[in-house]
Amino acid sequence: MMLRHLARRTFLLAFVLMALTVFSFSLNYMFPGDLLSNITGLRDISNEQRQELSLAMGLDQGYLQQYIDYTRRIVAGEWGLSFSSQQPVLAEVRSVLPATIELATYALVLSLFLGIPSGIIAAVRKEKWLDHTISGFALVGYSVPVFWWALLLIMVFSLQLGWLPTSGRIGVLYEIPHTTGLMLIDIWLSDLPYKHAAFRDAIIHLTLPTLVLATYPTTVMMRFVRESMINVLEQNYIKTARAKGLNRAQVLLKHGLRNALLPVTRQIGLQFSTLITLAMLTEVVFSWPGLGQWLIDSIYQRNYTAIQAGVLVISTLVIVVNISTEVLHTFFNPLARKF
Amino acid sequence: MMKRCFLPLALLALASGCTPAPDAMTLNGLVYCAEGSPESFNPQLVTSGTTIDAISMQLYDRLLDIDANNGNLLPALATSWQISDDGLTYVFNLRTDVQFHQTAYFSPTRPLNAADIEFTFNRILDLNHPFHQTATEYPYFDSIAWHELVKSVKAATPQQIVFQLNKPDSSFLSTLATDFSAILSAEYGALLQKNKQLPLLDSMPIGTGPFKFREYKKNVLIRYYRNARYWRQSGDLDQLVIDIVPDDTKRLAKLLTHECDVAPIPRLAELSLLAKRSDFKVDQQTSLNVGYWALNTQKAPFNNVKVRQALAYAVNKQSILQAVYFGQAEEANSLLPPNSWGYNAQGQHRNFDLAKAKQLLNEAGYPNGFTLDIWAMPVQRTYNPNALKMAELLQADLAKIGVSANIVSYEWNTFRRKLRAGEHDSVLIGWTADNADPDNFLRPLLSCAAAISGSNRTNWCDSHYDQLIADAVLTADVNKRRQLYFQAQDYVAEQVPLIPIAHSQRFQVKSINVTGMHINPYGGISFTAAGKTR
Amino acid sequence: MKKFRLYYEEYNRGPFQLLWSHFSRQHTALFGLTGVAILLLLALVTLVLIPQDPYFQDAEYLLLPPSWQADGMVKYPLGTDDLGRDLMSRLMRGSSYTFGLAILAVLGALAGGLLFGALAGMSKGFKSSTFNHLLDLALTIPSLLLAIVIVAVLGPGLTNTIWAIMLALLPQFVHGVRNAIQDQLKQDYVVAYRLDGANDWQILFSVILPNVWEQLILLSTMALSTAILDIAALGFLGLGAQSPTAEWGSMIADSLDSIYLAPWTVALPGLLIFIAVLSVNLVGDGLRVAMKKRREN
Repeated sequence: MMLRHLARRTFLLAFVLMALTVFSFSLNYMFPGDLLSNITGLRDISNEQRQELSLAMGLDQGYLQQYIDYTRRIVAGEWGLSFSSQQPVLAEVRSVLPATIELATYALVLSLFLGIPSGIIAAVRKEKWLDHTISGFALVGYSVPVFWWALLLIMVFSLQLGWLPTSGRIGVLYEIPHTTGLMLIDIWLSDLPYKHAAFRDAIIHLTLPTLVLATYPTTVMMRFVRESMINVLEQNYIKTARAKGLNRAQVLLKHGLRNALLPVTRQIGLQFSTLITLAMLTEVVFSWPGLGQWLIDSIYQRNYTAIQAGVLVISTLVIVVNISTEVLHTFFNPLARKF
Repeated sequence: MMKRCFLPLALLALASGCTPAPDAMTLNGLVYCAEGSPESFNPQLVTSGTTIDAISMQLYDRLLDIDANNGNLLPALATSWQISDDGLTYVFNLRTDVQFHQTAYFSPTRPLNAADIEFTFNRILDLNHPFHQTATEYPYFDSIAWHELVKSVKAATPQQIVFQLNKPDSSFLSTLATDFSAILSAEYGALLQKNKQLPLLDSMPIGTGPFKFREYKKNVLIRYYRNARYWRQSGDLDQLVIDIVPDDTKRLAKLLTHECDVAPIPRLAELSLLAKRSDFKVDQQTSLNVGYWALNTQKAPFNNVKVRQALAYAVNKQSILQAVYFGQAEEANSLLPPNSWGYNAQGQHRNFDLAKAKQLLNEAGYPNGFTLDIWAMPVQRTYNPNALKMAELLQADLAKIGVSANIVSYEWNTFRRKLRAGEHDSVLIGWTADNADPDNFLRPLLSCAAAISGSNRTNWCDSHYDQLIADAVLTADVNKRRQLYFQAQDYVAEQVPLIPIAHSQRFQVKSINVTGMHINPYGGISFTAAGKTR
Repeated sequence: MKKFRLYYEEYNRGPFQLLWSHFSRQHTALFGLTGVAILLLLALVTLVLIPQDPYFQDAEYLLLPPSWQADGMVKYPLGTDDLGRDLMSRLMRGSSYTFGLAILAVLGALAGGLLFGALAGMSKGFKSSTFNHLLDLALTIPSLLLAIVIVAVLGPGLTNTIWAIMLALLPQFVHGVRNAIQDQLKQDYVVAYRLDGANDWQILFSVILPNVWEQLILLSTMALSTAILDIAALGFLGLGAQSPTAEWGSMIADSLDSIYLAPWTVALPGLLIFIAVLSVNLVGDGLRVAMKKRREN
């Protein structure tokens, strides 16, 4: 039965990815400008080149054939050239993606560490002042525009106090060799004499962006865990456990947590997609060299090949994470396997 | 920061007596926050101030230098020179102790000699030079029609180079002192030819300057290492990093958090606040520059001189000086700033007069006004710290005479590309002097050659004007030149292909522990003497 | 004194009055509702009545601090921005753009959601299944990303942003409406109507819609907070409202230059966005709790 669910989800994944590529393919036609430029990314195409390229891209054939060619090119990694730099788009994406992944992962982990415990505390101390305070903070964090929050923190901690830097992943004087693209891991793997100073510097640079990015998911997680926990605590089996003589802590740990935290797996997937979007705004404010800032810059520069690639990558990431966490969730929670 | 580990490392380097390996791991460096990415690493190929600042004085030397105090020419790679009586032959004697950079990709086997000078300038002049075609243009040299001026460049002996000119030109030496006349390595050129990697001449540079190229991450940073074999006395920095921060608020922020040690073109509004802080020093210098509004005279209605004059009357320069320059500039009536020796203090002066502007528009046949685009640079420049704001101010004033203005802007490199293609109606741009010669303003900005080469944003090509400035360099008599320049400026004021707006002060903010960095009134910045105290 | 009743009658309050009584018992929810009401009023009134022209550039008073500081002027109560425009008027006009247009976008998405959701909810079989899959796809992509992509295609500008946000919010409305309708379809009274001979349209309009509108209100409040944040975010990125439009997000971006000299020009528009979203969220939370309480009683 698990296998059947897996099969259905895989089918959904394939279907969704296909629809995404159709959308991405149609972007070539929807963007203004020269069709051939949009597809290849070449800026000035001479007339002889035009003939050649049209044939190569299959523009003389029907839409279906063009779409198939397009998908083949995507899978092969031929994503065209970036309008502004005339460098392969795939290489550019590869260089910016790790920064976003690193930031989003740390923010997600932080949100779990902060959100889940506070949600549990709020649920347990329901309607008391602790719950009200925590829920109040959550509501505030949930409502605050992320870019404004980032600017406020910069105003206080960088401009006024000068404690934390405003941009970048590490001080420019450090030359860290590029192994994985994930800064902290690269520093650890390298054998530079200033390794520890570099590590400290990278953490300092990570502080503000991670805090800002983690705000929204923490509050969502907190509200969600609180509600989930409250629902679970009202269930009959909790009353039974208490009646049996278990004290509060034991009830919480043995019965409450496992049931309350199950839907959290699903939430993590949803949070990841919101995180990626909020990361775009955070990256712009902090000049964090990630995929989000790259995509926004491409939009400013009308860099159509880059926009296509960026949208494709972000959407694929979001969809894959969503469906994976859903599968994981179903794996842990038999109740979700409903059909 | 790295106090404990630095000392043993330094001792080790001294003890071994050799330069640190290319991947020297040292944190004794300076961070300069630049306002944009360089377009190339070869000054011959660009005129943009951002690029020149980043590369010219750092990687290269020239035959001559300019004295920052009085604009006179000083010997640099050339120790002395002789000019023939007819002004057609220039002979330079070269230094013998100049070494080219030693990097991971090139090791020179000989010091600089005349073959390098020949290689450098023949690249621009000789169509058959192997590297001539690797670049599409040499904008500065094209705009002053240098190939028409210089007949030949030849090495007489290994220490002597001879330039033959077709006609006398009193600005010739000044041209050799500009940042664009950087000297390249012929040996490096030969190596690249052998490996069939010609474009690397401009992207992986080799020069004789105080710093050598280490890495470039596009739109992120440029990293230079110290050139230990530099022939001049230089500061003690091991590393120079140019951090590319196009947004001026972010530059200020980086300065405040000490991520940057030096920042150019600070926001004028914050200058007074920064000056009060004890951990920063604000440097100020009267610079030779001009910010102007160029009208594309090849597009209607700008081909009508009355329309251009009307627009000139509609510019409220005083309010722009307050709102954009915060009072740190003076009103410009000519391309030449008042401290240039070619400036005419009695020259024509137009007041802000909307009624006159409207009247001229009516006479020109546009009683209901028209629409135009104002292209505004997205980057900050010494001559224009906020083109977008200036455009908004112009937009508001132009609306009062019935002219509706759209503000157009793109990312800087896209902007320059489109400007080059002549897509603009009008553009807010400017120029910083490369030397003390008035020809440096008047020719690259308004001559016919410059209209073809692209630095003449007005596309104005007038034979009377070209004759005036050509005659002005035929003679070496300063007074005769001055008279001709007065006539040229008056002519420009009457024909109004562009509207000069302001001559700005040049500023730089640096951390209190940065030493040896002074602002150059001419040309790009120099880190030669820069150092950092702990 | 006890109310005099002529005759004894059971007085049961209707569902809406019950909801209101539960809602109004929560102080935070009432606070939020007041906030929303004030902003709505501002959004409408400032279109005709405003202290000063939000676009007039007073060149003499650039970056004036708020009036309570020594250098401030009463004429400009909250000071001026770097082009000399009155901040207070701009903030008030901003409510029409950020808040007012968000409401417009939500109403548009609601209308679209009703249309498509009804079609999806009432249909069955293969058509329904494919539609649901497409919907799942649209739902996985966050609304801001979708809006950014649409703006990338259409080009920056305020009108395009509204269309983009409307389209981006559509999936969650369609999903919500469809779920609500399908829940209703399972109810006994719908079966009763069918047995009476009602066709699909009659069921939809007479039975289902009156029963789901409360859920739709809830959905709309959640969408409204998203819409406000998205409009402001796009304005901040320069993809939405273009300067000199006085939209709160683009005001923040415009004032970034003066962040060190005049931090209030950055803080105030953001504060208003925050208050708007907070108020809407308070109302939404209050509604949710009130509905839950009403269900429990």
